[in-house]
Amino acid sequence: MTLGPAVDALAQWLSGPDPAWWAVGAAIVAVWVLPVLAVVFPVAAIGQIIERKVAAAMQRRHGPNTVGIDGIVRLVVRLGGFFLPRASQDRLVERICALPGLGLLKVLGLGQLAADGVKMIGKEDFIPAGTDGLIFRAAPYLALTGAFLPFAVIPFAQDLVALEVPVAALYALAVSGVTVIALLMAGWGSGNKFSLLGGMRAVAQVISYEIPVGLAIAGVVLWCGTMDLHQIVAHQYNGEWYSFLGWNIVQSPFLFLLACILFFGGLAECQRTPFDMAEAESELVSGFNTEYSGLRWGMFAMAEYTEMILVGCLVSTLFLGGYQSPIGENWIITLAPWLQTILHVGIFAAKFTAFVVLMVWIRWTLPRFRVDQVMRLCWLTLVPLCLVCLFGLALTMLLANGTVTGAAFGRLPAMQHLALGPVGYLLAWAIPVAVAVVLIVLARRKYGQMHPALRELTGGAS
Amino acid sequence: MSSDLAIESAGGERMRINMGPHHPATHGVLRLIVECDGEIVSSATPDHGYLHRSIEKIGECVEWPMFVPYTDRVDYVCAMNANLAYCVAVEKLLATDKTTAVQVPRRAEVIRVIVAELNRISSHLVAVGAMSMDLGAYTPFLHGIAQREGVNDIFEKLCGQRLTYNYITIGGVGFDLHTGAVEEIESFLAQFEKEMIRFNKLITTNTIFRDRCAGIAVISAAEAVAYGLVGPNLRGSGVDWDIRRDEPYGIYGELGVRVPVGQGYAGRTGKVGDCYDRFIVRLLEINESVRLIRAALKLLPPAAEKPADPVGGFQADVAKALRKPPKGEIRVRTEAPRGEMGYVIVSDGTKTPYRVRCRTGSFTACSIFNKLMKGIFLADIVTVIGSFDIVVPEIDR
Repeated sequence: MTLGPAVDALAQWLSGPDPAWWAVGAAIVAVWVLPVLAVVFPVAAIGQIIERKVAAAMQRRHGPNTVGIDGIVRLVVRLGGFFLPRASQDRLVERICALPGLGLLKVLGLGQLAADGVKMIGKEDFIPAGTDGLIFRAAPYLALTGAFLPFAVIPFAQDLVALEVPVAALYALAVSGVTVIALLMAGWGSGNKFSLLGGMRAVAQVISYEIPVGLAIAGVVLWCGTMDLHQIVAHQYNGEWYSFLGWNIVQSPFLFLLACILFFGGLAECQRTPFDMAEAESELVSGFNTEYSGLRWGMFAMAEYTEMILVGCLVSTLFLGGYQSPIGENWIITLAPWLQTILHVGIFAAKFTAFVVLMVWIRWTLPRFRVDQVMRLCWLTLVPLCLVCLFGLALTMLLANGTVTGAAFGRLPAMQHLALGPVGYLLAWAIPVAVAVVLIVLARRKYGQMHPALRELTGGAS
Repeated sequence: MSSDLAIESAGGERMRINMGPHHPATHGVLRLIVECDGEIVSSATPDHGYLHRSIEKIGECVEWPMFVPYTDRVDYVCAMNANLAYCVAVEKLLATDKTTAVQVPRRAEVIRVIVAELNRISSHLVAVGAMSMDLGAYTPFLHGIAQREGVNDIFEKLCGQRLTYNYITIGGVGFDLHTGAVEEIESFLAQFEKEMIRFNKLITTNTIFRDRCAGIAVISAAEAVAYGLVGPNLRGSGVDWDIRRDEPYGIYGELGVRVPVGQGYAGRTGKVGDCYDRFIVRLLEINESVRLIRAALKLLPPAAEKPADPVGGFQADVAKALRKPPKGEIRVRTEAPRGEMGYVIVSDGTKTPYRVRCRTGSFTACSIFNKLMKGIFLADIVTVIGSFDIVVPEIDR
């Protein structure tokens, strides 16, 4: 399912005599742009609908629920049945909308997505006076590009990956950094002080958080001995029915911590609450995208949702066995390839969707950090913690295997050999967990005392 | 005001930002002229007047009872308390002469306390909800607003309005309690207490929230008094002062109001008089208001046939007294959610006031802004504004 053959065919055809250039353009659009668009819009839409529904549930309201399919039906009937009298058009619309199932669509408010899309596209492309024209206009495209490029190397199933790169993990980290340039461009190009502050905050934050994120990925690379995401996934296969025990996240508490750091670092990189310094609507109005509207604003929004999904994909791939099922993976890989692919894509989608829901949940629960607190968290907590984890991981590998060079594994049926015996496995968990528990208890005893008035306010709970 | 704000050059590498009048966190149309060095604020000057409606001047043109609806607009977040302040002032004026003195029926006094405390709850819900929203947590705000709706529903049944009630009148209240009001209030309070526990678990004890408020904009007790802070802002600094207890009006004297004060609730990082203390004082006051409403409901005498009945009535007959009130000047202060709401009224013995002047908590709170906001982060500005719970119509009037 890679795009390789199509590109090869295209290149072959191009090298032939006298290519029709308009056809080349059309072919490029067909081969590259359309599939990308076909992915972009649904992906962003999934994020959007999750966000709005989860927020609505948390805030005890309905969320999008009125825009159903009837508006679209009405439009189609009006256009298609223009020769009919108005009254019978209306009756037809009523008939169609009364069909079972369409009502459900309305309840879910899925029509809202289409309505939002149409609204965004239909709005005036407003560019305020005083903006830095080219920079202002280019920023949204760059943001979207940066958000989508890393998807090229994410394996969605055994053979479902757009681009096979041996240094896929590094590539994903590198290209996702493009977004920060877009945020800076948006902040500078808007000619608005709030935007400028937002842009500067975004740069400071994203660049800082790339370090813990990079270190967390480095931990996996150390453990698995490869940067190829496919091989990292294969490394997490244990060949048993309880396949989740092969996942990186349960291999060692250090890997578990690194997974958490990767998730929170990712949260910070896509500027979500509690790390939404760059937008901070109560401080900076809307931060870097204050002056944007219509489709340009929509691109930033899509980039944000895409990045959320990217974080979910990365955590799943690196720590949660990628596209593997938590139980019965050994059975799945005996199935027919097409069935395997479908199952794997579904499982992978379930994993990253769970992370997106988690991110939305966090967003609508927590307040926002302050700029200095975000920086302190990154440099004084996450980075040292990452280093400790890397050291602990290397130590574990050294004690268990006598080497810190992770063994590279092949594709899936190749079995992963448990690096640690049962005793080593237990010790590897027990010692760090015990240390952590002691630290937490001490910290609670020293800092965790709540004022009695607060205990009263929370109903006596400590 | 604007002339001395027109600083020739901000000096050095400072940036000047206009926060407001249209800004999500300035609670209306407050304008702060912020000068900052990157993220650090070097000065923040409030600029008022965007919502000025000459309410005090209108007071000189309308008859005594006709000014009551205008008091709603002085502070529409707690209109009942605003009504009450003016009505208590006029009643005190009438009491200076034996011929015009009115006795507010006992039942009306109890109803006044009930509605004033309900309104205090709903006002504080806006305050704590908006503060958490300013700090980036949107969900608690909506949960607070949902509870406020419960209060509004009761008020709507009581007087037909949800925001500007015009309910408390000179000499009593506009209408008697509707049928089933007591049960409604009791059932509202029962579910409200549970909801507040959830609210507090969600936001109040949240570590991020606490760390953002703790130690920010600390005001010492002496400073708070010197700057004329009132209400929860004053009590947040540890000053034990509440008009309801110390200069009681109505039946507050019988209820024994307990006054929460700031004690450095944030713990290790907190100081007495920081933003977190002001926030917690409001929450504790909500609990105290719940207790006061329950106590007042117990005191409620049964309704009488005649509206002017001194015990079971709801409205004393004041029409004659207001046509020819005694001459004189009266100053009355009451405890509104945003602190002392005082009225100075001057009467020249005619049916319109000679002068009506009100003193509100938000206005004096603005005087300390510039001092507090030197050297804090840009993000802390919204914390400080939120912790003071300013309502802009109260500043501008």
